[in-house]
Amino acid sequence: MAKFRVVHYINQFFAQVGGEEKADHRPESREGFVGPGMAFNAAFGDKAEIVGTVVCGDSYFNENLETATKEVLDLISSFKPDLVIAGPAFNAGRYGMACGTVAAAVEKELGIPAITGMYKENPGVDSFKRDIFIIETKNSAAGMRDAVKVMAPFALKLAAGEEIGASVEEGYIPNGIRVNFFEEKRGSERAVDMLLSKLAGKPFTTEFPMPDFDRVEPKPAVADISKATIALVTSGGIVPKGNPDRIESSSASKYGKYDIEGVFDLTESTYETAHGGYDPVYANLDADRVLPVDILREYEKNGKIGKLHRYFYSTTGNGTAVASAKAYAAAIGKELVSDGVDAVILTST
Amino acid sequence: MILITNNPKFQSVPEPRCDMEYIAGSYRDVLILVRDRIHQGHKLLSHPLSGSVKPNETPYKSILISKKTGSLDVDSLQIIEDSISTCDKFMQNPINYGHNNQDALLADFSEVDYGLIVAAIASASR
Amino acid sequence: MKLELGNIFIHDIQFGDHSRVENGVIYINEEELRAHLLEDENIKSVSFDIAKPGESVRIMPVKDVIEPRVKAEGRGGIFPGVISKVDTVGSGRTNVLKGAAVVTTGTIVGFQEGIIDMSGPGADYTPFSKLYNLVVICEPVEGLKQHAHEKAVRFAGLKAATYLGRLAKDLEADEVESFETLSLIESFRQYPDLPRVAYVQMLQTQGLLHDTYVYGVDMKQSITTMLYPTETMDGAIISGNCVSACDKNTTYHHLNNPVVRDLYARHGKELNFVGMIITNENVYLADKERSSDWSAKLAEFLGVDGVIISQEGFGNPDTDLIMNCKKIEAKGIKTVIITDEYAGRDGASQSLADADISADAVVTGGNANMVVNLPPMEKVIGHVKLADTIAGGFDGSLQPDGSIVVELQAITGATNELGFNRLSAR
Repeated sequence: MAKFRVVHYINQFFAQVGGEEKADHRPESREGFVGPGMAFNAAFGDKAEIVGTVVCGDSYFNENLETATKEVLDLISSFKPDLVIAGPAFNAGRYGMACGTVAAAVEKELGIPAITGMYKENPGVDSFKRDIFIIETKNSAAGMRDAVKVMAPFALKLAAGEEIGASVEEGYIPNGIRVNFFEEKRGSERAVDMLLSKLAGKPFTTEFPMPDFDRVEPKPAVADISKATIALVTSGGIVPKGNPDRIESSSASKYGKYDIEGVFDLTESTYETAHGGYDPVYANLDADRVLPVDILREYEKNGKIGKLHRYFYSTTGNGTAVASAKAYAAAIGKELVSDGVDAVILTST
Repeated sequence: MILITNNPKFQSVPEPRCDMEYIAGSYRDVLILVRDRIHQGHKLLSHPLSGSVKPNETPYKSILISKKTGSLDVDSLQIIEDSISTCDKFMQNPINYGHNNQDALLADFSEVDYGLIVAAIASASR
Repeated sequence: MKLELGNIFIHDIQFGDHSRVENGVIYINEEELRAHLLEDENIKSVSFDIAKPGESVRIMPVKDVIEPRVKAEGRGGIFPGVISKVDTVGSGRTNVLKGAAVVTTGTIVGFQEGIIDMSGPGADYTPFSKLYNLVVICEPVEGLKQHAHEKAVRFAGLKAATYLGRLAKDLEADEVESFETLSLIESFRQYPDLPRVAYVQMLQTQGLLHDTYVYGVDMKQSITTMLYPTETMDGAIISGNCVSACDKNTTYHHLNNPVVRDLYARHGKELNFVGMIITNENVYLADKERSSDWSAKLAEFLGVDGVIISQEGFGNPDTDLIMNCKKIEAKGIKTVIITDEYAGRDGASQSLADADISADAVVTGGNANMVVNLPPMEKVIGHVKLADTIAGGFDGSLQPDGSIVVELQAITGATNELGFNRLSAR
């Protein structure tokens, strides 16, 4: 049987190009395996071989997502692979995002099976676990041997079109797709084991993680809204025309802070939306539809509210990592509090 | 209390212990109507997902709500919304009991739904 | 309370002239058993069949599965308040025809379901493929209403199991197991340093075809209460539940409750198994609040450190499960819950109809929506055409060659929420 042709995607560090200072390394390809690819190649035995390696710096990739992905995909397909392996990225966030993006794009655009490996807290996990299989690894390159041991045979299974079992059987990070399998012990015995661990304060793993709730307790109502300073914050992507801060249309890596002193109405010529997740036509015609500056100015004039805060904050909500959104909120919240804002109207789409 | 139902059995066998709002619609239509009533301040008295016959199997659903209204009951809202999600999840794979004995089958589903809600009405009437 | 179970291992069932058990074989006089079951005027006719492990046989639609047992020594009889007189059971000696079962079938409602394949891939999903089954097929009299039909079939199964069980009354057991639960104070004195654990069993109690009986009482009408675990071994709890095949507890499950067995197995070693709390799953929401308040109150009253909670059924019981879990955790008592999942055919949907952050220790019996392909069997006992109307089956489930494409939902006991099986999901 012919060997599977495998392409390995790695970053500048694992390609021995350099460290952080070389993170802007542009995509390039090399014949055969490079760096950790040697371990994969050995693990494949006679079933597969790494015919080529594609290298890209983590900064270059993350800052030029669209173009870098295309460049990497082109380089990958030039090797005509049957299978692509990215990373593993362990706990490196930007490397994880790059590996996830590459693997997902390979699956989607090239129709070729692709996998990667990450530590469970790598931000790339939440972003890509539903798109591709991510094998769970330790949190540093010290876990390379163990990662290869699981990733190599799993990749071969995928390439051969074999049936993939449950996450706990195969070693991939649970991706929300429930798969049945037979355990060693019956359920009641597993329940007793679990209870004994829980009672003893020992770690245990639930077989079904409850959905993430993250419920927020509402604060009490504003006492006198006619005297309150209200700020506008949006995840609807409203920005000054031209998007001067280049807020991304999805997976926003930043938020903007904009001065609306003297602005009473958002118009087609002065504001627009950067958000790529909804039809922008109506927001571009009149951004007040997403960020109601005009109405709040009216209320200000009529004494319904005390004051509209001078600055509004904006980012795009779609595809933005929960962790990022939390971080932006914490930073924005701090400023709003020190600026004496009483309440916020948060608009989304 | 008010019985919200699309079960035709209630048209032939009136239920004296509660008011009835009959809707000639689908299982989901019943859930939506109950949700509307909850937003209007009624409280949910019986669980919408009564019975183990699944939403994509039986066309009939009966639910009890309070006659009195008050402020929005958040627990009722949570339950009805979860039930609508569950219904939609199952309806991705509708089961077509289209063959021989369709009338008898529908009669069976009607009987089971009736039996379950009558048990709830009995509890409520204690 | 102390109960001895005398297991007599069965490795065959045959029809014969004279009902008896000899050398691990049950011989059944068909006529005698038939006459006994036909004493019920609501039953028009009864036929029997035998299904053995490994045979190319499919049984459907399955109603209940019951294990033949008999009280050999001591108080009361099996199925108290139903078959035997009301008396407290769970002590003395009970003999069991181990490896055998009575399986009832019958189309009580058109969508009636439950498949047991004795071989092939379907056999892996039901524990009953490993048993020697006496299948009892009842036809009701014309025009019998659903609830009366269900009752007739229920009693036919219990009576048949009792008839077989009695054959074991004076037999010598191949193996004897012993289970004992002391009073609260004695149990505390016996193992003062072991964590105290109780088992909270939730019982299906919604109404027509969805009922459970405890000492003959409709559990729907009962407040949460307590049992000695050994009472279940004598049939204190029996099933009147018909839906769904995969996660309803058959009477066999109640008699062989695996949580009870596995807690007893560690009793005195790693834990102190204090007792059982049984509660219900009524449709009326205020009943749910009342019942779960009681579960939590009793758990606290028993002074336990942890509980295992098992569920029965889908949808509205998920709400009871979460209520019981939340309220018991709020008392500072640790919980582990056992449930099953309806995550859609692709496994991607929300598995439960209710959820809460305090349910952090869950054991699952698997995704009941998983689709399986059951190959044709040489013999079908029951009604094969029903495949298309079997819950979990879909349009065209029954293939021309006799194979069936169904969800696990349709297989009897497949995703049991007592933790009876090894099936799980991740």
